[in-house]
Amino acid sequence: MADSGSVPARRCGSGSVSSVSMDTISALTELEDLENIYQQLCSEEKEVEAELDRLVGQESTIHTKMLALQRMGPKLQLIEGDASQLSGMITFTCSLAENVSRKVRQLDLAKTRLYNVIQRADDILDLKFCTDGVQTALRNEDYEQAAAHIHRYLSLDQSVIELSRQGEESSSVDASLVLLQEAEQKLKVIVSEKLDEAVAAVDLAQVERFFKIFPLLGLHQQGLARFGQYLCTQLAAKAEENLILATGGDVGDKRAPLIFADTLTLLLEGIARVIETHQPIVETYYGPGHLYTLIRHLQEECDKQAQKIVDKFIQQRGYHNKFQIVQNSMLKTIPELDPVLTEVTIMNARAELYLRFLRRRILADFEVGDIQSITKEHQQNVEKLLKHCQLSRTMQELIGYYIPMEEYYMRESVNKAVTMDTYEKGQLTSSMVDDCFYIVKKCISRALSSSSIDCLCAMINHANSVLESDFREVLYNKLRQGFPATTLQDIQRGVSSAVSLMQSSLQQGKFNTLGIESTENAKTAFLNDCAKLFTQGTSSVEQAKIESCLSDLVNTSTKFKDLLQEGLTELNTTAIKPQVKPWISSFLSISHNIEEEEFNDYEANDPWVQQLIVNLEQLMCEFKVALSPVIYDTLTSLMTSLISIELEKTVLKCSFSRLGGLQFDKELRSLVAYLTTVTTWTIRDKFARLTQMATILNLERVTEILDYWGPNSGPLTWRLTPAEVRQVLALRIDFRSEDIKRLRL
Amino acid sequence: MSMEDYDYLFKIVLIGNAGVGKTCLVRRFTQGLFPPGQGATIGVDFMIKTVEIKGEKVKLQIWDTAGQERFRSITQSYYRSANALILTYDITCEDSFRCLPEWLREIEQYANNQVVTILVGENIRHNFFLLVISCALYVWSRNLILVLVGNKIDLADKREVHRQRAEDFAEAQSMLYLETSAKESDNVEKLFLDLACELIREAKQNKLDNNDTAPMPGEGKTISYLSCCNVN
Ligand SMILES: Nc1nc2c(ncn2[C@@H]2O[C@H](COP(=O)(O)OP(=O)(O)OP(=O)(O)O)[C@@H](O)[C@H]2O)c(=O)[nH]1
Ligand SMILES: [Mg+2]
Repeated sequence: MADSGSVPARRCGSGSVSSVSMDTISALTELEDLENIYQQLCSEEKEVEAELDRLVGQESTIHTKMLALQRMGPKLQLIEGDASQLSGMITFTCSLAENVSRKVRQLDLAKTRLYNVIQRADDILDLKFCTDGVQTALRNEDYEQAAAHIHRYLSLDQSVIELSRQGEESSSVDASLVLLQEAEQKLKVIVSEKLDEAVAAVDLAQVERFFKIFPLLGLHQQGLARFGQYLCTQLAAKAEENLILATGGDVGDKRAPLIFADTLTLLLEGIARVIETHQPIVETYYGPGHLYTLIRHLQEECDKQAQKIVDKFIQQRGYHNKFQIVQNSMLKTIPELDPVLTEVTIMNARAELYLRFLRRRILADFEVGDIQSITKEHQQNVEKLLKHCQLSRTMQELIGYYIPMEEYYMRESVNKAVTMDTYEKGQLTSSMVDDCFYIVKKCISRALSSSSIDCLCAMINHANSVLESDFREVLYNKLRQGFPATTLQDIQRGVSSAVSLMQSSLQQGKFNTLGIESTENAKTAFLNDCAKLFTQGTSSVEQAKIESCLSDLVNTSTKFKDLLQEGLTELNTTAIKPQVKPWISSFLSISHNIEEEEFNDYEANDPWVQQLIVNLEQLMCEFKVALSPVIYDTLTSLMTSLISIELEKTVLKCSFSRLGGLQFDKELRSLVAYLTTVTTWTIRDKFARLTQMATILNLERVTEILDYWGPNSGPLTWRLTPAEVRQVLALRIDFRSEDIKRLRL
Repeated sequence: MSMEDYDYLFKIVLIGNAGVGKTCLVRRFTQGLFPPGQGATIGVDFMIKTVEIKGEKVKLQIWDTAGQERFRSITQSYYRSANALILTYDITCEDSFRCLPEWLREIEQYANNQVVTILVGENIRHNFFLLVISCALYVWSRNLILVLVGNKIDLADKREVHRQRAEDFAEAQSMLYLETSAKESDNVEKLFLDLACELIREAKQNKLDNNDTAPMPGEGKTISYLSCCNVN
């Protein structure tokens, strides 16, 4: 269609624009121009003809389309009719639906109202029923039933009751209400009295019976308080009995030193059992979240009783006295601290265990209600109850005294071990080192057994201090007395002991000997053990605390290690070097500019290396008996380094013939072979440069070096620089310096 | 150690009477908040904050101790390994100020670094050996920096301890003095950052003195001034 429209327009256009105008033609005078125009017009005519043909060709297609359109006409009329009919139907349906839904809404409203009416009728009936029921139940002393009625009444919608009072039956409803309220008050009084009676009579069945009724009357707090009181009385009686037994003296020798810890354990376990037993009742009848309240009541008694036990403990064990003595260091003798310290740590461990139990139970009880319902406030309350209760404070006080006493015990025991130090000949370390570390380990283990992380950290700090100062002092004194070798042993022992101290504090039985290098491993192992010990409630902060304190201990052991290394280096420089150096320099006096005859002579009578080996053997023998394998090994390593450096310097001052080079090669092999037997370190590496020098000195010709150099070096890694190679080559008197210079290395 | 992501690690311990605001100062610095209604500290709390000073990462290990008497023996065990102690009192509480000498006595007692005497022996070789070990041991003892902090300056109208008094006291004891408010965030940042600067300076100084690679080198005990230093 678009085509047919645009054709005339185009034709018009072409007529006026592309054709040459008549005026132009008339104006032409030249034949050439005319011919040009003619040509142009001819080609234009052809184009127009082609265009016309194309358009005529389209006629039939357009005709067919027109026919199709004509046929569609009536169908469109039909569609229009259908559409308007449909629209009518939709309008009708719509209004119908509107109509129906309005009725449904009305019905719904009516239904709701009906329900309300029924509810209210029910409530009123219930109210009546309750009123009658309560009276009967009260008369029959069926308090559960009465409470159930009151509970029903209390759970009625108060607004409904208000409405009922305004209705026609207001007077009767009013009367019911008054009766019910009276009954409620009466029941509350009765139930309270009955519970008190039951408590007084120590009648658990009755106590529980009335305890269950309280929440029905909306008296949750009161019920829990009274029940708590009852349980507290029970606990108090039992606790007093136990304390009398404990202080009565007749407890058997075995438990006597721990009797207060035992008594405290009994108390705490008793409370835990009470909580465990009564949790179901509280949860069932009071609902979740109320265990906290009951525990708060019980904790008051727990605090009181624990305080009594601790007071007795302090008094009978002379705890404060001992602390005073320690504080003033009045007596030079250590008071009997060991048992009392152990007892304190056990007491604290029990308290921690108990408090963790409480936290678990309380939080679980909150969670039963709704995990989301553990609000920040809940959590804070729990923390406050557990962290700031008297039991916690009492224990914190005990630990507060414990730490200085344990520290004193540690320090004094270490001092004692030092003064009693025995050094026997043939023994590598003095008894003191092992004793010191045994003591330190014991004290840290004891602190750990208190389950208090702060206490443990404090003792690790003190242990570190003892090792860094007192133990260090000891090493000094030994040095002053002139036992450098033993002192080195002691330091070395100190390093490995510090490692094993951490590692084995807890790993009883699982002791494996780690080397000096593994302080980090030991720390990790120790931390794992701590983690196991404090599985519940070891927060990352607490882990970090222990880790930080242990790091200090690791640092100390590193310092011992450095000290040892320095000592050994010094020993090497002062004791070994002055002796070894002349033995090596004597190489200079043995000519290596030799001929066949002398070479054979050397073969028969070794001029140098055998004597050197004998000398070294004697020197090291002295150290071997005096030093432990680890230290001896380090020392031989230092010595071999010394020998290789000295020998290298010496060789560079000599001159060699071909056979002299061979001689040196033989000598070096013997020396390396010997040194390999006396040390566990691989020494080939230390002698690599010398071995390569021997290879060079052994060459036939200067250029032979190229068979070993650069691309020909094979597995050999040259430790000598090209300049050094030339320097060694120059030691051979038979090599010409021009040849050496000419070498391309 | 070199693997870890810091250039320096310092142990800072806060001490002082209960309720003077140690925990609030630490929280303000490490978490940027003033905690409402948190209870007294139990034992020791431990927090870490890494700060950057002049391009160097400084890890501050901050130990917040409990001021209540019964935790004193735990607190004391930390004095010796500390690089710096922040002794805090409350400017609205005369009592907390009066206790300061007592705190200093305690520090003296527990933070004491052994003064190592160089020994003299007869045998020359042995003597030289002793000397080396002595030097190694000598390097163990460190300096301890002490800072006195008067907190709660936002409560100006309730002030009981005059600034001059505190300054005099601090000077007599060779301590730096700073007044802060954890509540208003006054001088808190400055306190810790200046201290970090001073600790770095000290560490560098000691490294120089000893010309040694020991991790925490130092000399015999001196209590040093905290000079002003610019951050970044
Ligand atoms: N107005 C004011 N109150 C402060 C400031 N710092 C702390 N407090 C308040 O002082 C009280 C004690 O603060 P804490 O930080 O718990 O004191 P603490 O020194 O850690 O106490 P202990 O842990 O028991 O040793 C809290 O009620 C704080 O709100 C301060 O800068 N200004
Ligand atoms: Mg605090």
